[in-house]
Amino acid sequence: MTNGVNTKTRVSRRHFLLGAAGAGVAAAGIGLPAIRPSRAQAGRVVYATWGGSWEAAIKKAWFAPFTKATGIEVVAVQDNTYGKFQSMVESGSTEWDVVETNPDFQYIGAERGLLEPLDFSIIDKSKIMSGDGFVTEYSVPQVLWSRLMAYNTKALNNKVPEDYKALFDLEGFPGKRAFYTNPNSGALEAALLADGVAPDKLYPLDIDRALDKWSEIRDHIIFYETNAQAQQYISDGQAALSMMPDGRALAAVKDGSPVAIQYNQSILTWSSMVVPKGAKNRENAMKFLAFALSPEGQAAIANEYTYGPVVPDAFKFISPERAKILSGGPQQQGKYIMANEKWWAENLEKASERLTEWRLM
Amino acid sequence: MATDVSPLRQDRAHMPARPERAALPDAAATAAGRVRHVPIGVPDMAVLIRRHAPTLLLMPALLLLVGLFVVPVLRLVGLSFEGSSGAFDHYMRIVDRPVYLQVLQRTFLTSAATAVLCALIGYPVAYRLATGSNRTRLLLLALILIPFWTNLLVLCYGWLIVLNPQGALNALLLKLGLVSTPIPMSGNIVGVLVGMVQTMLPYAILPVAANMARIDERVLMAARSLGAPPLQVFLRAYLPMTLPGVIAGALLVFIMSIGFFVIPAILGGTRDIFIAQLIEMNINRIMNWGFAAALSTIVLVATLVLYAVGVRWFRLGTVWGQS
Repeated sequence: MTNGVNTKTRVSRRHFLLGAAGAGVAAAGIGLPAIRPSRAQAGRVVYATWGGSWEAAIKKAWFAPFTKATGIEVVAVQDNTYGKFQSMVESGSTEWDVVETNPDFQYIGAERGLLEPLDFSIIDKSKIMSGDGFVTEYSVPQVLWSRLMAYNTKALNNKVPEDYKALFDLEGFPGKRAFYTNPNSGALEAALLADGVAPDKLYPLDIDRALDKWSEIRDHIIFYETNAQAQQYISDGQAALSMMPDGRALAAVKDGSPVAIQYNQSILTWSSMVVPKGAKNRENAMKFLAFALSPEGQAAIANEYTYGPVVPDAFKFISPERAKILSGGPQQQGKYIMANEKWWAENLEKASERLTEWRLM
Repeated sequence: MATDVSPLRQDRAHMPARPERAALPDAAATAAGRVRHVPIGVPDMAVLIRRHAPTLLLMPALLLLVGLFVVPVLRLVGLSFEGSSGAFDHYMRIVDRPVYLQVLQRTFLTSAATAVLCALIGYPVAYRLATGSNRTRLLLLALILIPFWTNLLVLCYGWLIVLNPQGALNALLLKLGLVSTPIPMSGNIVGVLVGMVQTMLPYAILPVAANMARIDERVLMAARSLGAPPLQVFLRAYLPMTLPGVIAGALLVFIMSIGFFVIPAILGGTRDIFIAQLIEMNINRIMNWGFAAALSTIVLVATLVLYAVGVRWFRLGTVWGQS
């Protein structure tokens, strides 16, 4: 008995050693490029990203050219959440230098002392489009995007929903409506606009009035937890209409799904870039932000991914066909409404609670 | 094995008391100075180490558990009492706004339904697993474990494809003429239960099967030899002996289900909000950690109470292999 166990152990140890040797070779292989000279002296920037195809795009449009121009290496890390951001700064171990966030965080993070003031002697903010909250002491905008109505043309028999009244018109536009579980998906704004609130009187949002409007179509609302889910719902027709990010709607169109986009009254918003307090490579972070906000940098990302530039000059480097699908581009001029992200930062908790209550009613 | 004494315990039982050996050392060894003289009554380090070896072996795990689990949990509970205007701020809000208790209630009811369904479906499967031929057992184990090892998101989207109104199951039912309009099976409680029961079934089957495998066949033979018909044998001998395992398994399923997040979010409907979703939202989107901590603490306390009830009255320990 004992003997048998011993033999078994020996065999498995040999296997283990083989495996360890293999891992060692692999590690050496991975280690090789790091030994290359010149990059190390210029330093680096640790960039916390949302990841996915977006990460691939910024690597191509921003990281590689930036490193080429400055010698500063950009390291992308994922798993970027507010929770992690806060615990990192509060525990004094800030590993990130630039973080992409939703704009609510530029207010929440600043209020909680989690952000480093930006150096506008390095970053040129004069070219950035004007608007409330676009640039703050602690944040710059990254790209433009919109929350808007997308619809499945097959489910609607090619009938075109001209405005948000269609969301609440079950006879004219039968089918499910997909909204985000987070209240700031533009669907509350859509309800108020459909209910006759003037676009310039939208904020502060009357949440109760918006939810009352939702109640008219309660049984026809399905909620999505992730944007990928929204894309799925609208692509396969599980939802006939959806309030969703333009990027996901465009991706559905590009996939060949019977999906179309209504740009009327789209809620224009943006993503932000911030520098966490105590960032180790602060100087390099400022240089990176300056680079990303140059007209060329903005055009590069807009050509790579379907988000609009926050620097209008960038359109000089973007083809008219491309410009047509970008947020802030010609197709949206005179149609969009600016989201009040400051209001959302202050009211997200209350709105979330009210939405949860409404869902359970 | 008939005896249940672990090798470690056997060793200790047969070990001669150390002081005797120390008091009567081998003369030659003493002369060579190889034996240390230890006065009787004063513990020798070696003795201490040997006597407490099992405990000492536990230390690394214990330290990890305390450092990585107990301390953070205590900090979490502490955080829940850090309100802006008082220690019970967050708890007051939970009590004041009906929505949180409603979500808790929904979480608990759905978890309870999952536990009951898992117990009912799992029982016959566990029986086959415990008593079937080797081939049957292998096949069953594969059927149980392959979904168990499959990524939860993949499972959920799989079910979505099967259950949704345009999905495979409805298409089949329509084609067979069993229904005239698609039955909504996702985006509601049906979808949530299907997903949760499937995910949790192994936890209901495996402990029950382990319990059934331990049952002494002779008890059932005795029942039969005394003239009990099969139903009586089952109801009066087999069921009572296996019931503790079933209840233990169901409690385990229930406790684990309370923490569910992905399944209600994807397969559920407007009302299918689980407490874990509200906790996640408060941590990562709203950043009200104190409130998230209060919600977590309530779930933690509820779980501990249930666990205590399970251990005290329903032999929940059988899940971990205690008899």
